[in-house]
Amino acid sequence: MKVPSYDDLTPGIPDVGPAPADQLALFLRSAPAAPVAPLAPFAPRAPLAPCAPLFACLRLHAGAVPHPGVLLPIATDFSPRVKRVSEGEVLLDVSGLGGLIGPPDEIARQLARALVDAAIAANVAIAPTTTVARLLATQASPDGPLDTDRFHELPVALLEPLETLPPAMPPRDRARPYETFQRWGIATLGELAELPAAELSSRLGRRGIALQRLAQGLDPAPFVPDGETPRFIDRLELEWPIDALEPLSFVLARLLEPLSAALERADRGAVALRLDLRLTDRSTHARVLQLPAPMRDPRVLRTLLLLDLESAPPPAAVDIVAIELDPAPSRITQFSLLQRALPSPETLSTLTARLSALVGELRVGSPALLDSHRPDAFAMEGYAPEQGARSARSAEVRSAEVRTEDTEGEGLATDARSADVGPVLRRQRRPQVIHVSIERGRPAHIASSRRGVPHGAIVQAAGPWRLSGGWWTDRDWNRSEWDVALKNGAVCRIYQDRVTDRWFLDGVYD
Amino acid sequence: MRAALESLLRARKLDVTLTPFGPSGEALGPVPDQARVAPTGVPALDAALGGGLRRGHLSDIAGAPSSGRTTIVVRALAAATARGEAVALVDARDAFDPASAAAQGVDLPHLLWVRLDGRDPAIAVKAYSLILQAGGFGLAVLDLADAAPAALRGLPATTWMRLARIVEGSDTVALLVGADRLARSAGGATIACESSAPGWQGTAPRARLFSGLAFTPRVVGFAHGRQPASHVL
Repeated sequence: MKVPSYDDLTPGIPDVGPAPADQLALFLRSAPAAPVAPLAPFAPRAPLAPCAPLFACLRLHAGAVPHPGVLLPIATDFSPRVKRVSEGEVLLDVSGLGGLIGPPDEIARQLARALVDAAIAANVAIAPTTTVARLLATQASPDGPLDTDRFHELPVALLEPLETLPPAMPPRDRARPYETFQRWGIATLGELAELPAAELSSRLGRRGIALQRLAQGLDPAPFVPDGETPRFIDRLELEWPIDALEPLSFVLARLLEPLSAALERADRGAVALRLDLRLTDRSTHARVLQLPAPMRDPRVLRTLLLLDLESAPPPAAVDIVAIELDPAPSRITQFSLLQRALPSPETLSTLTARLSALVGELRVGSPALLDSHRPDAFAMEGYAPEQGARSARSAEVRSAEVRTEDTEGEGLATDARSADVGPVLRRQRRPQVIHVSIERGRPAHIASSRRGVPHGAIVQAAGPWRLSGGWWTDRDWNRSEWDVALKNGAVCRIYQDRVTDRWFLDGVYD
Repeated sequence: MRAALESLLRARKLDVTLTPFGPSGEALGPVPDQARVAPTGVPALDAALGGGLRRGHLSDIAGAPSSGRTTIVVRALAAATARGEAVALVDARDAFDPASAAAQGVDLPHLLWVRLDGRDPAIAVKAYSLILQAGGFGLAVLDLADAAPAALRGLPATTWMRLARIVEGSDTVALLVGADRLARSAGGATIACESSAPGWQGTAPRARLFSGLAFTPRVVGFAHGRQPASHVL
């Protein structure tokens, strides 16, 4: 039996950065009375990506009396992205400070020096995730930078303040997994991190997996700094109602250009776009566009909005136009010198929107095969070749898993040809009714009244291949398939519906 | 005058308007740059095409049902996606079979599939124009194999020339599929597929298995074309 992992149960929780303990862990203790201890040379075990996230944690010493807001001014001197965890603990995002200050050890050194200058006794820890930074900052007796082995030797009990639990949870329940770890002899983060996830999930549930991810240094949620999140929203009241798309496009451009400029200043892109049109009949025509990637080109956004409004026009003239953009960190793309560049998300968004307006939204996309024996089982998905390239490896793993669990597939198939590569079929997606003459239990002749449907005497036939399934749904199938070669050279796949005994043309091999 | 013509040729303003053939059919133009061709994934056909279909040109495949034209298209799609390229297919009659394509090696997430009901090929041409204008695709296929001849004759005469001009100079291979020859640019190729006997496994009537099609693609009117041998897929 396959035990769902925490990833399966909570697909929406992203991993923030790679496993940090393999990359970098810096720790520094500063005290007003003593100079900053020299750091050992910075030597990450794996090369850091140029844009790898980096977080610092400032934590007052255990004996220090916390003064409200004493750490915040120092943190905000270094980064605008600051989060106050408690009176004595502050997190700050120091990603990108390398160009301004230097390598991470220099950032840590300057943070510690600032604390010393302010006469604050606090610990400084820098790591690629906030979890590791916070765990390191709780240490009481540091003597220079920690290495990865020492991180894994930290006690499991340090995870308790990092957990996000319901306030109403009884203390007994809060302590339960830690008591279990104690009974198992799991004392350190390294031991917890190496436990098999499936077994841990079956015994401690999602909380056990969450604790293990913390022990591995992974953040449970993305870093969200304090402060008022800027809203990218604009609104325009029109002097005269607009009842056509062309004049509305100028209004949209006037709203989108300053919004895009604001996004650029904040180094953000829009991942969703909400358009509210207040109409003359006092109703509101709301449209929401989910964008495949953060983008801020006002021309692209305006085109997407107009194409969407073409497919869903407002029922009355427009009085008020309001646009809100949902911001997200902008994209950083590194192209390869050895591979051809794929179309950009902006290009693809515009293209798919134009194609959807032309042929219909459900008729544009990428096909995805379904785990089913139902003939012609596929689904249309959004076209995203970049994501497809990234997920290719995981898809291979998934398909291998599916092959090993073939007994759980939908329906019953006796199609011996499925294992072969076989020829390519041109499908009749709306099966054409044909008339088939039977001789000695085998198809002998095909006749059809429709033009373009292959017909004539059958010179070769292979079958029947019986397929059935889905009887527990309203999309069941039960049919006998034949591969037949006609006298005129066409090779077709035909089938007889075993419920109605009618014959259909399924496709032509080509 | 000569210098002006040479500069235009260097800028590729004239190369697709000149015929690559001499009076006796010999090739006049240079051998295609291998970086400017896209292999189809059918070795015999690639050898006949001098490496593959030329990028920035309009080529076409013609053949009757069961002549192997769709197999060549799917092989070309598979080869392009294997190179990490984005590909597009405008399917005028919604006849594409994703399962067959995946079995042939097409990386489906890299395929933009536009499905039409086949009523009006002009809509398919319009969708195809949008894809070519967007750019960035390694291979873009317009499948009109099942379109009614009368509907195709109703398309404006400049349709194919306009498509050729759109794709000119880009990295995209534009490929048309039809029952008859549709059009190609001067640097493109026409591949004529002819059906032959289907392959069967087993001799007993009740233990027979259809194994594939044997077909002969002929390269017609290509500068460096050689006729490939019969290819069994």
